[in-house]
Amino acid sequence: MKQTSEHFKAHVTAALADPTLKIALNRTTTLLRERRAQVIADFGEYAAAREAAQKIKDHTLDNLAHYLAMFEANAVASGAQVHWARTPKEATDIVTAICKAEGARSATRVKSMLGEEIGIGEALAAAGVERIETDLAEHIIQLAGDPPSHIVMPAMHKTHEQVAELFREKHAQPSNSDEIAALVESARRELRPKFLNADIGISGANFLIADTGSIVTVTNEGNAELTTTPPKTHIVTVGIEKIVPSMAHATVFLRLLSRAAIGAEITQYTTFYNGPKRAGDADGPETMHIVLVDNHRTEMLGQFLRPMLRCIRCGACMNHCPVYAAVGGHAYGAVYPGPMGSVLTPAMSDLKSTKDLPNACTLNGRCNEVCPVNIPLPDMLRSLRARQHQAGLTSGMTRGGLAVWGWLARRPGLYRRATGLAMFAMRVWSMNRGRIRRFPMAGNWTRHRDLPQPELGTFMQQYNRRSRK
Amino acid sequence: MSTARDAIFQAISTANGAPRDADTIAAEAMALIATPDVLRPGFTGQDNLDRFIEKATSERVTATVSHAATLAEVPGQVADYLTRVGLGAQIALQPRAALRDLDWGSVSVHHTVDANEPVAVSIADLAVAETGSVVFLSGPDAPVLLTFLPLHHVVVVGQGQIRRHLEDVFEFVGAGQASQPRNLNIVTGTSGTADIEAKNIRGAHGPRFMHIICVADL
Repeated sequence: MKQTSEHFKAHVTAALADPTLKIALNRTTTLLRERRAQVIADFGEYAAAREAAQKIKDHTLDNLAHYLAMFEANAVASGAQVHWARTPKEATDIVTAICKAEGARSATRVKSMLGEEIGIGEALAAAGVERIETDLAEHIIQLAGDPPSHIVMPAMHKTHEQVAELFREKHAQPSNSDEIAALVESARRELRPKFLNADIGISGANFLIADTGSIVTVTNEGNAELTTTPPKTHIVTVGIEKIVPSMAHATVFLRLLSRAAIGAEITQYTTFYNGPKRAGDADGPETMHIVLVDNHRTEMLGQFLRPMLRCIRCGACMNHCPVYAAVGGHAYGAVYPGPMGSVLTPAMSDLKSTKDLPNACTLNGRCNEVCPVNIPLPDMLRSLRARQHQAGLTSGMTRGGLAVWGWLARRPGLYRRATGLAMFAMRVWSMNRGRIRRFPMAGNWTRHRDLPQPELGTFMQQYNRRSRK
Repeated sequence: MSTARDAIFQAISTANGAPRDADTIAAEAMALIATPDVLRPGFTGQDNLDRFIEKATSERVTATVSHAATLAEVPGQVADYLTRVGLGAQIALQPRAALRDLDWGSVSVHHTVDANEPVAVSIADLAVAETGSVVFLSGPDAPVLLTFLPLHHVVVVGQGQIRRHLEDVFEFVGAGQASQPRNLNIVTGTSGTADIEAKNIRGAHGPRFMHIICVADL
């Protein structure tokens, strides 16, 4: 997808004016938050598991070269072909070259955010390969021509009424009913023959297991196995940060991922893949390719964004973000929305065009609180704001205001007198009505809400008064 | 291609410094999961079979369970199941000797799996008490698609195959590349989706119904 984060403010205005979007977001994020809270409350060992998960990820990142080399050797020993790509272009070139060599005309695909990140859809289209999205939500947005709006539930922005209308228009044998179960049945009917006739199956991976060379997929629908088993070639595109030392280490994350993402103890289907079909096997692909993608990850490894590489793409941060819940995923104009997206998008593109994203945050801290690997998202968003300021990307008004405030704050006596005076002025201005309707230079605030009338004196004035008593 | 690999390893080394020795790394990795009991749900006082059945039949996992003393009782239970759900007397059977050798009576058996297969019957290699999951290791007599294409999946689980936690499955398979099956499928109930308004619906692409026959002496 084409990144449009520079139009964030315009997107937000449009999103806030869309009543259907509000219904869709409310229905979904509320349910996801309730389910997660319940399943975490039932998991007494959650705090310890979360701490261990963070430590395992940090350990793996500290020894990334060691584990990647180990993974590569083991995957090759299982018969897979391992490829490396620095950029999205290198990754999609590898994928389309394989499609070409196989003479592929169609590819089924199971949703992966890395695939979205490298633009696999556009690359396959350019190579003349028909792409069939098999995850229900991806199927919906493929038919609608929409980009994803959530990393776990890409069709979160659609109500079931909208999906029903879409399926009636696009499906060969649509259902007459708007019931969600009937819609799911309609998609099952539509996709079933396509699973078995595709030339290539493309997946991502939730985990890479270093000591076995396995890739792991986690789904609820079972579409991963139906995508990767029948075609003669299975291609995996995956970020290098997905690696964990062993299967035993992966279990810590399996328990956290499904709980954080959808409020379930485990997803319905967890599959470990080790190379292509073996002698005598009844089914499975004849060749398996694994494309390991960097795309700015090694850059992040060397700076303040390093903890972001712990991310397991559960989506809990966006489900709990008041900004995301109000504007939805499309407003962010990037592959990754919400809090984690507001950190990743600048890291994967540039500070300037993504300037609004780190500022679309109230710093309420809920994203960090619900993160299963304890990523300090609010701190990182704050650091990004500081970097914007250093890079001269903030407005003249902000820079001037901060400069004046900074000058004053370094002179405590003067600062106290100035704030005392300002408070006095505000009390006079309010004329003891308890609130302020309009105030010079505060138009952006007072247009939507009143300012409260200040208390009797600043904190320091009240403190000094009390200490004298 | 090798240039991309070299560049990635070079960039990692710039960020991380010189790599440490493999033994130190391995020891550190093991220490992180040295006490798995503090990291996973405990269910002391509940045995593996009780926990497995509780989880497998939970609202979230949605399987049904019946019990058999030996494998010989399985064909009769499968026939009962087919009648109960109103299906014809034919099944796709996992081509395992233990299942093939049974007397299937009036139930007609085939070993291929069709795109719209109504019902498949397989033996699970393992089960997991913690989550109510069944586990399949792929191989010549264990096709993967048998687990994913049918609408109904009848799974035979030996009581002795029920392991306590997920880690025990991996311990059973064994560490290292050489001992891995091509596919290890951990299946927890039926195919589901919450992709439309987060409502849980069954039978997305895989089975809509799972019935587990617990065999005391497999």
